[in-house]
Amino acid sequence: MNGSFSTRMLRTIAAWVVVAVFFFPIYYWTSVAFKHGNDIFNRPPKLFAFTPTFDNFQKVFGISLGSGGITVTPGGGNFYMAPRVWDSIVIATLSTVLAVAIATVAAYALSRMNFRGRHSFVGWVLSTRMMPPVAVAVPMFFIYKNFGLIDTYTGMVLIHALMNLPLAVLLMKSFFDDIPSEIDESAIVDGASRFMIFRRIVLPMAKGGIAATAVLCFIFSWTEFLFALTLTTTSLKTVPVVSSTFVTSIGTAWGNMAALGAASIIPAFIFILLVQKHLVRGLTMGSLKQ
Amino acid sequence: MRVAQARRFVISDHPLPWLLPLVAILLVFTVYPLIYNIWLSFHEFVPRRRALEFVGTENWVQLWNDTRFWQSLVITFTYFAIALAFELVLGMAIALLLDSDGFGFGFLRGVLTMTLVIPPAIVGMMYLLMEDPQFGVISYLLQSIGLLNPNNPILATASTALAGVLVAEIWQWTPFMVLIFLAGLRALPPEPYEAAMIDGASSFQIFRRITLPMMSKVIAIAVLVRGIDLFRVFDYVFVMTSGGPGASTYSLSLYAWQQTFSFVKWGYGATLSLVTLVIILVIANLFIRIAKVKW
Repeated sequence: MNGSFSTRMLRTIAAWVVVAVFFFPIYYWTSVAFKHGNDIFNRPPKLFAFTPTFDNFQKVFGISLGSGGITVTPGGGNFYMAPRVWDSIVIATLSTVLAVAIATVAAYALSRMNFRGRHSFVGWVLSTRMMPPVAVAVPMFFIYKNFGLIDTYTGMVLIHALMNLPLAVLLMKSFFDDIPSEIDESAIVDGASRFMIFRRIVLPMAKGGIAATAVLCFIFSWTEFLFALTLTTTSLKTVPVVSSTFVTSIGTAWGNMAALGAASIIPAFIFILLVQKHLVRGLTMGSLKQ
Repeated sequence: MRVAQARRFVISDHPLPWLLPLVAILLVFTVYPLIYNIWLSFHEFVPRRRALEFVGTENWVQLWNDTRFWQSLVITFTYFAIALAFELVLGMAIALLLDSDGFGFGFLRGVLTMTLVIPPAIVGMMYLLMEDPQFGVISYLLQSIGLLNPNNPILATASTALAGVLVAEIWQWTPFMVLIFLAGLRALPPEPYEAAMIDGASSFQIFRRITLPMMSKVIAIAVLVRGIDLFRVFDYVFVMTSGGPGASTYSLSLYAWQQTFSFVKWGYGATLSLVTLVIILVIANLFIRIAKVKW
């Protein structure tokens, strides 16, 4: 929109103020991660004037910043969380691979093949996205208990893959729909099989879409809470679940929790910036394009 | 021969082999839980005998007479309506504000996406700290301008607890609406705007008569996608209030979860989660029909 210089100025200032308000909690949380205990509990809250410390990060990740540079000392302490971060990474990565693999194959069929009931099939996939996690978690808890899947990577990977499947299928379908089907048809005329077309032609063309789908699946698994809370007990825990357990009998370990939280945001944020082009399409499960 | 036949089937045009893995996993993880929940809703765990027993429609009768259930239904709908209203209005306002190619606007849009990648459980903890009555920055701010009585902690007072949770919810998901609306705004054709400018329409008239109608599909999809998640809210209330104080922040999902896992009422918990499921499916499908949302 065009406008006079002053309206443009006003708009720019307003935009920065609004975004600053939204950014403030993230800044504040990150600042807590660098604060000593007494600075966290200060009243009025200390926003800028505090002595930064790496103690919280050291406790949580075993990483310290001393005179000799960065040293890593794993292990020890109730708040040593590196293994929990590893659990989260393994679960998010494997469930993403599983969900994207199954979804890509299915989405190709939904995008390219005409069969009776295709429309209702897509509707069914969409409706599984509407299931409240609690309605799945309760029965799954009993099944997992019978099969010994509680506290296992297998169990968590399966449930997170399932959770992301509707999104992944609908999203991949929208990316395949973007690729003209004339390409498939001419390849069929040349004697290529469906599977060859899928693997050699369509998959390479949908690379960007697959990456975007994978990033979203990863982040949704990374941030998921209810399944991880219900289907794990002691030996396996994801970052969001473990964060809610930093409440101890002598108070909440805010500094440690903030260190874990702040550190867990950064990789996810970098990931999502990489696929920003497809972000809106992903968030709306393929129904809106940018 | 057999191998060749199988091979031809796998590479043929039949969609079955392509859809089989998806159908298998969806059946196991959605249809089975559904059937199991229905079965479970007619049973109840009896601690004395450490076994599930058939109780007929007892759970459903209990549901009907359970004031906590009706209360949690009201709370869930309230949460859903308030959050959706705020996120839609704020989201649209901020999207209109950020819809500019000026210097720095791309950066600002990028910063806004940050809220979306934080686990909601951690957002809950963030706001738990910021709303702490002693050293929370939000509480301090509200107390110093006289809007909050220091004796009434936000999350421990029945009348303000839900608002305290909603602040976290709205903070995290308004940027979601902003991104979707921005994409919609950027895809609008310029011609109607040019015509309206020539006719001398005010900017509010332009928004009301041109932008809103042309954005209706985008808005419908944003409402659907966000609405589904809002209705099954769990993380924030679990982390921030556990449903309290009293029962002032019990969402349906939280109530169902607690009945199952804290009070070992497996049958009743299943009944509650079934009801949650049915309500979401009915409302969402009605909405899809009425708003003519297409995938």
